[in-house]
Amino acid sequence: MMMSEIAKDRMARSVRKRGSVSSLNGREFWQKELHGNTKKNTVSFTDEPSQRDNASRLTVQMENTYQLGPTKHFPAVIVNHILKDVLTNYLQEEQYEPELCRQMTKTISEVIKTQVKDLMIPRYKLIVIVHIGQLKSQSILIGSRCLWDPKSDTFSSYVFRNSSLFALASVYAVYFE
Amino acid sequence: MSTRHRSFRNLLNATAQYHCHCHEVGFNADEAHNIVKECIDGVLGGEDYDQNNINQWTANIVEQSLTHVVKLGKAYKYIVTCAVVQRSAYGFHTASLCFWDTTSDGTCTVRWENRTMNCIVSVFTIAIVL
Repeated sequence: MMMSEIAKDRMARSVRKRGSVSSLNGREFWQKELHGNTKKNTVSFTDEPSQRDNASRLTVQMENTYQLGPTKHFPAVIVNHILKDVLTNYLQEEQYEPELCRQMTKTISEVIKTQVKDLMIPRYKLIVIVHIGQLKSQSILIGSRCLWDPKSDTFSSYVFRNSSLFALASVYAVYFE
Repeated sequence: MSTRHRSFRNLLNATAQYHCHCHEVGFNADEAHNIVKECIDGVLGGEDYDQNNINQWTANIVEQSLTHVVKLGKAYKYIVTCAVVQRSAYGFHTASLCFWDTTSDGTCTVRWENRTMNCIVSVFTIAIVL
């Protein structure tokens, strides 16, 4: 009777510990699960997922897909419309302000990323870049070059201007073989 | 009989070396940082902002950065972006967000400035699984 109560107590404690953990990277979470199941009282600490930790993990070996190319290509035209809509909606009436535009770049890139992800194009990695600047008489030039497979990878970009600011959003899509 | 055995062993060694090369995990951002900085210094160092040449300069920076980074010999796809702004009292913001595999892919951004202009070069690398 006593033993089962102690065991139950330990299980409850380990469950509570699991519950309090919010954002771990995958490996540490599974370690906690294992310890809970074997009823051992362990103390483990979590650290921020750092570059060092990730690099020490072995590369994941992916199974061969035997596909020569993407089954569904990245729709650059649809993404262009997405960029136009997002930029126009967020920036149509805005004036250039340093703090506002700093937040805007981050929010806009998040919004674009979620909308492109909702298109559910499989096996594509995305890079979203947003530039916002004050529209005055200064000069600016933005350029990019890519080394990739042009049959499967592509990009899409859109420039938005209003009376006080300009914004450039570009999305690069790289196929993951 | 012995020559065939030796050539088979050589082939095994060659493939083993090839595989070891592929298991180098992660992107070395410091190396790329230095390479890109040297490229920018070479193209823009000592120059003033010039409307006529800026197109040529941006193209040179991006192409040279790309060729030098490729010479590192890693199995990556590369995206290099360069923004050159005339130095003024006016604001400019940049943000980038990447949806990829954080263990194998990486990025590196270099900011450079002189008296008349600011230059921001970003290198994104996506691993090719061989």
